Amino acid sequence: MTEYSTDDDVAPAEHGLTREDRRRARRMRRFDNPWLNPKLYWGGGLLLGIVLVGILGRLLWDLDLVFTGSGMLKLPPVGFENLRGQEGTFANPLGTDGAGRDMLALIVIGAPNSLFVGLLASLIGMSIGIFLGFTAGYVGGRTDDIIRVLSDVMITIPPLLILVVFQSAFGDVSLTMMALLIAGFVWQSPTRLIRAQVLSMKSSGYVQMAKLSGASTFDIMFREMLPNLIPYLFGSFIANVTTSIVTAVGLEVLGLGPQRVPTLGRTIYEAINAGALIQNLWWWWGIPTLLLAAMFIGLLLINLGLDEVSNPRLRKA
Amino acid sequence: MSSTRTLALASAIALAAGAGWAQDRADTVIFDLDRTIKDPENFNWFTPGTKRMHGAHQAMWEPLFILNYGTGDLDPWLATGYEQNDDSTEFTITLRDGVEWSDGEVFDADDVVFSVGMALENEEISSREASTIRAQVASVDKVDDLTVRFTLTAPNPRFIVENFGVRIFGSFLIMPQHIWEGEDPATFAFYPPVGTGPYTLSSVATNRAIWERNDDWWGAKTGWMDLPAPARVVFLETGGEESRAQLIAANELDAAQSVSVGTFEAIQAQNPAVTAWYPSYPFAVSDPCARQLEINTTVAPWDDPRMRRAVALIIDRTQIANVAAEGATVPSRTMFAQFGSMEPFIAAVEEAGLGLPARADVEAGQALLEEAGWTRSGDYYEKDGETLSVDIHVNSASTEYTRTIDVVVEQLQRAGIDAKAVPVENGVFWGEVLPFGQYEMTYSWLSCGSVNEPWASMGRYTVDDVVPVGERSPGFNNTSRWDSEAAEKYTAIVKEIGDKALNDPEVPAMVAEAYAYLDEEMPFIPLVQSFKLVPFNTTYWTGWPTDENYYNHPFFWWNSAHQIIHNLEKAE
Repeated sequence: MTEYSTDDDVAPAEHGLTREDRRRARRMRRFDNPWLNPKLYWGGGLLLGIVLVGILGRLLWDLDLVFTGSGMLKLPPVGFENLRGQEGTFANPLGTDGAGRDMLALIVIGAPNSLFVGLLASLIGMSIGIFLGFTAGYVGGRTDDIIRVLSDVMITIPPLLILVVFQSAFGDVSLTMMALLIAGFVWQSPTRLIRAQVLSMKSSGYVQMAKLSGASTFDIMFREMLPNLIPYLFGSFIANVTTSIVTAVGLEVLGLGPQRVPTLGRTIYEAINAGALIQNLWWWWGIPTLLLAAMFIGLLLINLGLDEVSNPRLRKA
Repeated sequence: MSSTRTLALASAIALAAGAGWAQDRADTVIFDLDRTIKDPENFNWFTPGTKRMHGAHQAMWEPLFILNYGTGDLDPWLATGYEQNDDSTEFTITLRDGVEWSDGEVFDADDVVFSVGMALENEEISSREASTIRAQVASVDKVDDLTVRFTLTAPNPRFIVENFGVRIFGSFLIMPQHIWEGEDPATFAFYPPVGTGPYTLSSVATNRAIWERNDDWWGAKTGWMDLPAPARVVFLETGGEESRAQLIAANELDAAQSVSVGTFEAIQAQNPAVTAWYPSYPFAVSDPCARQLEINTTVAPWDDPRMRRAVALIIDRTQIANVAAEGATVPSRTMFAQFGSMEPFIAAVEEAGLGLPARADVEAGQALLEEAGWTRSGDYYEKDGETLSVDIHVNSASTEYTRTIDVVVEQLQRAGIDAKAVPVENGVFWGEVLPFGQYEMTYSWLSCGSVNEPWASMGRYTVDDVVPVGERSPGFNNTSRWDSEAAEKYTAIVKEIGDKALNDPEVPAMVAEAYAYLDEEMPFIPLVQSFKLVPFNTTYWTGWPTDENYYNHPFFWWNSAHQIIHNLEKAE
């Protein structure tokens, strides 16, 4: 970019037209298809990479290695040495944890699991949010009051606190169960957001028109208004995925959540519990942490990219 | 690495400064406490909870005798000796002259008679030591100020070591009559507490207890023993393995609770002043409480002995030793702790063909499952449309516990049983799950007791102690609630063993005979021997117990830790 601008300054008369044309054309292309922005590429790529690790790993790697006692204990990744002087081998390329579980197998199973919990919880939360938000905004009156107060109250309750109690009471929970529990705490923000949008849309011409032409409430809400909200919903959805994963990982790091199903958070919990820091078993806690970081960065990039889609002013000229 | 260490150090220093023992660290000895003190202002040790192991029975309350694991003798403490009659039904204990409570009152036979009396008269006090006294003692009398006579309900040659000798963890603690008189022993809080030991309580909170030396201690005044060197004893809750390792490596802890071999090696690499029982691998000392899988014999399908034996065959003990203990222990051959003194009984059981295999025989186990009517479909066994599953409750306080159960769960899963670990907090585990039988299977060491004779362990699974699920098992005995016909036959033989003298040559054969019933019905499944890798820091204090300096075992959370504290010397 800098190159161009210097050029422009030095010799605007000679090349100005064609450059300006090309730049405008490029800008127009980008405007034409806001979905093709680099943030979305990169974010999507990161997440896809994690999903691919899960899929390819399932095809290519022996997943039985994920169980306790399937390998030697505390082996380092290939190319490293642990405190006892043992070297990493290709039988366990990313090393093993303190109970002899293969780190690669843990990641192959664990990483998509975390993503799965996030997606499922967010999907359920969003569905509840969409339904309640539209109902509150469009129907109004007493219904609106009830839904609004409910979501306002729920928004003040810290989810982790409640979930910790829930999970300790349940003992072992499945991934799906955990996703359901988390979903109970991620519907409030979309509800409020959508309600506000619906209120402002309600008085717009096309809604009035639909009303006059006798469309049913359901049709107006979900056929007419919903498509206009898609970019918002996507952004909100991704933000919710992030929140859900943070919540799930938080629970897992506390030792709650599923016991026998490998997850990234639980791996970190076990590493901390077994003294992995003082034993310098960095691969035990480091690899899952790295993966979680990649996952969050991916989600963040997608969210920023979606912002650009729904808000043209954010797009770079 | 270094940043985490600095962090741990900083928090430890902040903690220490806050509690006010940082300024004279060199006069303070800091012990690790592996649990929270739920009710800090309650020192009624008759009731459940952390009432003793936070320094109370290590620094304040003294036992009458201490069993010396090295010599096998009873080292006299508040008592000087005892005599018994020929059939072991009457014991006369002589108390030490000149013992005083820390408030200046004299400790004498009245306190002993009064304390034992409380245990005898109050059915509702539940500590193990009190229930044992209640089960054994018919009456207790004061002969003179320094002599007490016990009359037992049945012959028991082990009466002294079992009740007053700190054989395992605790002993029956004598309470001051002048304070407890007129109080309800089931509800009295006993705060501030008073004891005969060289330390008095300075302050206590949920995460630590601080004890100050009483320079007016009777033991030094009478010339029995010098004042201990540490001016202050602290018991500090450290949390998990990582934090206790960081604290001891940073010299902010002098004695840590058991850690894994790998962690210990890492501590030593950072701080060579940290030692353990043995100077090299496996570092750990064996503990008399062998590990076992406890089974609730009242819950279907585990009420069928075949099912329990199947589980025993499916479990691979060698893998547990290698994975959960990192090779620092060995598989159990029988229910007994593998001490040299127990060898005759272990050998007798093995000669009768009743020992446990070190490796699994999964096929034999599965054959038993099929015999009991289960058929495998897919991953798991099924019967009448129901999947064969089991919840194993495990105390989440230590990696040793959880990891052992992880291994067991894996082994059962592979054999076709849908096993699942249910981690439970320490207090819930000991307070609710175990004593009330609220479990299917669980990881424990409740056959613990025998050190040099078989009865103490075997006597814990008699039908006399069976109570329904939902009622508290007396003294954690027979929490399996094993009361079949075989159990009755077993009980009869064990009672006979109990009446025999300690070195009666007939005992090993009788042990084998009784063991046949245990082996047949498996109310619990012995797993591996217990190992304790207890790190001691020699930066500020030396004189810790080791294999070479074997004045007693290193379990500083036991009532015997008085000996450790008295042996400590300031490091040069």
